[in-house]
Amino acid sequence: MIWLLLTVPVTLAVGVWLAATFDRLAPALWGARAGGPVAALRDGALLLRRQTVRTEAPDDLNRRLAPVVYLALAAIGLSVVPVTHAAPIESPVGIVIWGSCEALTIIAVFLHGWSPNAPFPLIGAYRYAAIALPVMLPSMFVLIAAALPAESLSVTAIVESQREVWNVVRQPLGLALFLLVGLTLTQRGPFDFADGADIAGGTSAEDSGAGRALWQLARLAMLTAFSAMAAALFLGGPLGPGLPGPVWLWLKTAAIMALTVLLGHGIARTTPGRMLTLLWIVALPVSFLHLAVSGGLALW
Amino acid sequence: MTLVAVCVGAVGLALALSFALTGRDSRSTWPQAAPYLGGGEAQTHAWQRFHFRAYTMTLVFIAFEMEMMFMYPWAVVFVHEGLKAMAEMGMFLAILSIGILYGWREGVFRWQ
Amino acid sequence: MSLLDRLAGRAPVPVFACIGPGMQAVTEHALLSPRLRRAASPREAAVLLRAGAIPERAAAAFGRVHDQLPHPRAVLRWDGQGDPADVITDAWVDLLNGADSDTDRRSDEPPNPWEGKGDHGQGGEGMMGGVPYGRPMAMTGDDIRDGLQLDAYTATVGPFAPMLPPGLTLEITLQGDVIISTSVTAPPFPQGDEASAPHLCAARLLRLLGLNAAAARVARGSSPRALWTRGAIPAGLGEAAKGEDVRARLSAWLAGQAGPYQAPRIGSMLPGLEWHEAMLVLNSYAPDALHRACAEEEEAA
Repeated sequence: MIWLLLTVPVTLAVGVWLAATFDRLAPALWGARAGGPVAALRDGALLLRRQTVRTEAPDDLNRRLAPVVYLALAAIGLSVVPVTHAAPIESPVGIVIWGSCEALTIIAVFLHGWSPNAPFPLIGAYRYAAIALPVMLPSMFVLIAAALPAESLSVTAIVESQREVWNVVRQPLGLALFLLVGLTLTQRGPFDFADGADIAGGTSAEDSGAGRALWQLARLAMLTAFSAMAAALFLGGPLGPGLPGPVWLWLKTAAIMALTVLLGHGIARTTPGRMLTLLWIVALPVSFLHLAVSGGLALW
Repeated sequence: MTLVAVCVGAVGLALALSFALTGRDSRSTWPQAAPYLGGGEAQTHAWQRFHFRAYTMTLVFIAFEMEMMFMYPWAVVFVHEGLKAMAEMGMFLAILSIGILYGWREGVFRWQ
Repeated sequence: MSLLDRLAGRAPVPVFACIGPGMQAVTEHALLSPRLRRAASPREAAVLLRAGAIPERAAAAFGRVHDQLPHPRAVLRWDGQGDPADVITDAWVDLLNGADSDTDRRSDEPPNPWEGKGDHGQGGEGMMGGVPYGRPMAMTGDDIRDGLQLDAYTATVGPFAPMLPPGLTLEITLQGDVIISTSVTAPPFPQGDEASAPHLCAARLLRLLGLNAAAARVARGSSPRALWTRGAIPAGLGEAAKGEDVRARLSAWLAGQAGPYQAPRIGSMLPGLEWHEAMLVLNSYAPDALHRACAEEEEAA
C-alpha cells in the first residue's frame, strides 16, 4: 500500500526530467538543434538562480495556488493509474476522478493567466478556457468508450479488459482523440492556446525565476500523468510478458510521452476562433462516431 | 479514504515545494512590476469585464456536460443491456446532434 | 561555485533583444545560436541585448523593458559585428559569480499618484473613478463584432514587442481579444532589404504558429519540417486581392519569392480582427513594406 503510494512522486520526478529532455530532443526531428540529458537541469538551475518578479497589484493567493493545484492534479490523476494489479487510489470510479482532474486543470491554467493582472496573460487565460472547455467533451467520450468493454469505471478493470487485445487495436480513434486532450492539458503545440508567441508567451509572459520553474514543472508533471493514463487506457498499462508490471507501465508511459512531445513540436497552431469551430464541428462528431464504433465492437 | 489522503498529501507537498522555491519573494520596484507591453504602457489595470468571445458556446457546453453524467452509469451496464442501451444512447446523441447543427447554423461556435 | 551555479552557468542564456534600425536580420541570426535562447518576454531573460543604436524616441520604452527583467540581469550593446554569444555567456557567468545586477533606469514610483484613500485603498470615491494601485480600472466601450458593451482596454504596444516589427508602436483598444481600433504612434525602424528576405519573413510567421523548430530551420535557409503549416492559417485571412491572403503570402515566402511590396495602412488593417489573426496579418507583410506604408500614411497626414 505505502510503496504503491510512493511510486507516484517517483514516477512524477523521473517523468518530469524525461519529458523535459524529450522537449529538448524533439526539435532535432523537426530540423532544429537538440539538447542533451543535462540540458533540462541546466535550464531549471538558471531559473532557480533568478528573481521571481511580483507584478503590479497581482492576485497573490491565486498566483501561488495555480501551479500548486496544477501539480496536485497531476499527482492525483497519476494515482488512479494501476502500477501493477492495483492503483495507489484503487477506486471503482477511477476514470471519473481522472476526468475531474482534467476539468480542474482548466481552472488552474486560467488562474495562472489571471493572477499577474497583465494583458497578455489575461488574453491567454480566456483563450485557453474557450478551447479547453470543448476539448473536455471528446475526452469524456474517449474515457467512456474505454469503459464499455470493461463494464466498469475502474481503471484497473479497464486494464484487465485488455488482457487479450489492447484498446489501441479496438479503439485507435480513441487514442488519437486522447492525444488531442493531452496536448490541451499540458498546453502543447497545436493546443497551446494559453502561451502563444503572438501574446509574448501568454499566461507565462509575466513568469520569472523560480515561479516560472514551478509552473513548467507542473506542466511536465501533468504530461507524465496524462501519458501514464493513456498507457493504461490504450496500451494495457502494466500488462506485458517477462518484465514486471511497473516497468511495462513506465516504458509505455515514456512512449506516449515521446509521441505527445513530438506532435507538440511539429504541428501548427491555428487561430482560436477557427479551432473552436473545428472542435465542435469535427472533433465532437468524430467522438460520437468513436463511441458508436466502440459500443458496437463491445457488443460483438 | 485513500483518495482524500492523496488529495491532501498532493496539495500539501505541492504547497511546500512552492514555498521552498518562491517563499522569499523580494519586493519588485514599480517600473519592474509594470505589465509587459513590449515597451508600451497600459492606461488601466488588465482586470476587466472581459469580452469573452466564446460565450455562446459555453451554453451548449453545459448541455453536453450534463449528458456526460448520464453516460457514466450507462457505460457500466452497456454490455449487459446490449442493443437496448445502444439504441437509447443513440437516440439521445441524435437529439443533441440536431442541437449542434442548429447551433452551427446560428453561429454559436464562432469567435463572436 | 555551487552545483546550482555551475549548472546555471552552462544553460543557454535567455536573451531578450531590443532591435534598433537596420539590425533585425543580424539579430535574428545571432539568436539562433545554440548557446542563446530567444526569450518571449523580458521576464524570461537574463540578458537584455541592445542591438544597434536605439533612436531617441524609443529611449523611454527601452528603459521600461530594461527595468522589467528580473535580477540578476545585464544589458549589453551590440553593433552587429561578430557573434554576441561569447559576450552574453560571459556576462551571465559574471552575474552568477556575483557581478552587480543592472539597476533600474526609471524611478520607483507608481504610474499614477495613488494616495490609498477609500475602503479598499482605491484612492478615489466609491467603486469607480479612483486609481487603485496607481492605475484606473477599465470602463465600458463599443464593440464591433457582437455589439455587447463590455470593458475596453487601451494600451500602447511596442516598440520592442516581439510580435510586432521593431520600432512599431501601436495604440490599441481591445474588447476582450478583438482589436477595436489602432493608431500608429511610431512607425517601424527602417531595416533594409535583409530583414525582408523571404526566409526570415516566413520564419516570423511560423513562430506565430507555434512552430519554433521549423522557424529556426527556415531562418537558416532550409525548408520547414512541420505539419499543417499553411492549413492552420484560416483561408481568406488578410485578403488584399482575390487569392492574395496570409496563406498565399506564406506560400510565396516559403517558395523563396520576395514581396509583397505594398502593405495596407495599419490603422485599417487590424481593427475587427482577433489578436492572433491580427498578428498573422501584420506579419504577413515584410518589415520594409510596413515601414513604407507607415511613412506614406504620415505624409498623407
